[in-house]
Amino acid sequence: MSALPISEELVRTLSLTVVITSVLTVELRHLRFSAMAYVVQALLIVALLVSYATVNHALYWWAGTALITKAVLIPWFLFRYIRRTREMEEPPLVGFGPSVIVAAVLMTGFYRLTHSQVALLAPSALAQAEVFRTNLAVASTVFVLGLYSLLTRRDAVKLVIALCLLENGVHLSLVSLAPGLPETALFGIASEVVVTVFILLYVIEGVYREFGTTDTFRLRELQR
Amino acid sequence: MTSLSVVELPSALPAAVFLVPVLAGFLVLAGGRLGLRWGQLVTLLASGAMAVMGLAIARSVWGGAVLTAWGNELRVDALSALVVLIVSVVGFLACAYSVRYMEHATAGEGPGLVKRAHRMPLFHALVLWFLGTMAWAAVTNNIIMLWAAVEATTLSSGLLVAFFWDRRALEAGYKYMMLLTVGITFALFGCVVVYAAAAATGALGGGEALLISEVRGVAWMIPSGTALIAVSMLLIGFGTKAGLAPFHPWLPDAHAEAPTPVSVLLSGVMIKVALYALARTVSIFFPSLPAITLFAVGMGVFTMLLGVVLALVQEDLKRLLAYSSVSQMGYILAGVGLGTYLGAYGGLFHLLNHALFKSLLFMCVGAVVYATGTRRIGELGGLAREMPVTSACFLVGALAIAGFPPFNGFMSKLTIYLALADSGLWWAVAVAVFTSVLTMVALIRPFYRVFWAVPAGAEARGAAVREVPAFMWAPMVVLAALCLLLGLAPGLAYGLLHHAAALLAGAGG
Repeated sequence: MSALPISEELVRTLSLTVVITSVLTVELRHLRFSAMAYVVQALLIVALLVSYATVNHALYWWAGTALITKAVLIPWFLFRYIRRTREMEEPPLVGFGPSVIVAAVLMTGFYRLTHSQVALLAPSALAQAEVFRTNLAVASTVFVLGLYSLLTRRDAVKLVIALCLLENGVHLSLVSLAPGLPETALFGIASEVVVTVFILLYVIEGVYREFGTTDTFRLRELQR
Repeated sequence: MTSLSVVELPSALPAAVFLVPVLAGFLVLAGGRLGLRWGQLVTLLASGAMAVMGLAIARSVWGGAVLTAWGNELRVDALSALVVLIVSVVGFLACAYSVRYMEHATAGEGPGLVKRAHRMPLFHALVLWFLGTMAWAAVTNNIIMLWAAVEATTLSSGLLVAFFWDRRALEAGYKYMMLLTVGITFALFGCVVVYAAAAATGALGGGEALLISEVRGVAWMIPSGTALIAVSMLLIGFGTKAGLAPFHPWLPDAHAEAPTPVSVLLSGVMIKVALYALARTVSIFFPSLPAITLFAVGMGVFTMLLGVVLALVQEDLKRLLAYSSVSQMGYILAGVGLGTYLGAYGGLFHLLNHALFKSLLFMCVGAVVYATGTRRIGELGGLAREMPVTSACFLVGALAIAGFPPFNGFMSKLTIYLALADSGLWWAVAVAVFTSVLTMVALIRPFYRVFWAVPAGAEARGAAVREVPAFMWAPMVVLAALCLLLGLAPGLAYGLLHHAAALLAGAGG
């Protein structure tokens, strides 16, 4: 059992589910379903933050911020723009079968790597202790899955969702790495992500109207 | 090594220099119905006030003093002041230039042009927020807020890049936003690791681990593995924003497709702010990871050569200048990354000079576009007679960027060569000199073709071409004069550059 007043089992279960939702977000081709998987992940992150808040009460604020930005505002923007553009993702560079295998390998491999080498990222004793160690490994895994999605997807809206995964990874890592971060700094980070997603989707809608597609590989006007 | 006795002066200037343009941006939007003149007036007044504050800040820290505000959250030393000075002065000149340029770009009856004209209040507000966020990045002492400010510069400029809202602008705007946001997420991770590692040393209490000035003092206690991860993340993040190779592909698209006053701010100012963020954060690890300096020089040399080679094959004037910016950022990185006083001095001097001559060159190309409607070299020629001021200014900018005496680029490049040679890096000196020769070819060739050669369609062009209005050429003349002045009297910027270089070299020593 952990010496901290947090249920390790609960955190592990939530963390595992966060990683699975990352894979679903990456692999689901229907953009609406992919965005739904992202919403589930956002809610799980909120639940994780509430769990950690039993040790560090400041994290209740983080949980509230994550709920508003990740589970409400960003999904709202995503669903709105998916409705205005197209529902199915443009075919990615890697087919469904191989992509699931790559994602699974990345997920297990990177989780094991970061869980065993966590001291490199987190020199503090707290971050190296369970359950924060597991959290950091999950955060890194979500980050890498977001990066994998960014490198292999060609649909502009899907790339925005991948960007959100990347940001979720960093956000989760803050719990282990920077639990003393002032709320103002956290609010600054969270609000910038919301504005980024909004502006990106606004530009993507313009791209869709001009080019008739959200396939980034067909944006070749500047090569002429 | 220069030892510094720091005098800290509480001041309202560090806050005012970024709050004034940000608030003015809201003022422009609030009075949007008052028409184009309202936006122009507020933008000129706010950027003018910012320039005055930038000069006042530079004067205050000239002797090595440091301005502080909000309990050391804002801190302006000579390095910050140098960047604030560039942001505010070049920002003001770009705003003045934009008055007639944007009137011209939005004039007409077509549906696209009417939409552009309706978006002008947003243009002015975004330009002011862009300036404000860049100034914020320069004055903040909080490492997380530094990230937030740099990301805010992307948010405020993303819609400016896509402002014309046609196929080219949208493609450039999308790539700009996406690539820079992905890159900057790495920088956030790097900033968080630096903060966590500094806090874990136990030497800093409370929120002190967030303050860059405090982290510098404990950086040697951070494990080298952790420092390496942090540096890698910061290099990818801020390096992408600074246009360093191989993270540069967004730069030519964005800098070429944005309205020219925005290109001036992107190429002349923004990439310098990103390099400042990189230097400010990474230099604290120079003592514990000396190998970083060699890596930085290597990356700088690669960037300068790749940028100029790509510039040589461009037919589009703005893309040529954009690739040349990539190349010049390589010089700055090679100097600053060297970690020595002389290298930092040369790198920072070149940072200042590049802000001047690259802004000048973009303004000249904007003037050509204004007068002729094209920026393709093959479609231009013989403009020197009709546009003598623009022609002369372009020549000054081209000679300055090529490092030709007596212009400012010669002095800063020479300092970088000497610094590299002083460190025994003769291979880097050879590449830097060779790159300078290629830069001369890359810039003089289009100068000749655009301004002196007989145009391909001379008879078709008619007599419509004439020199741009004074609101556009006056900022160009000011920048050209500064290029010459800093070349003839390089000691004019010594007060700032000396203390800024000593600061970076101190971190490296």
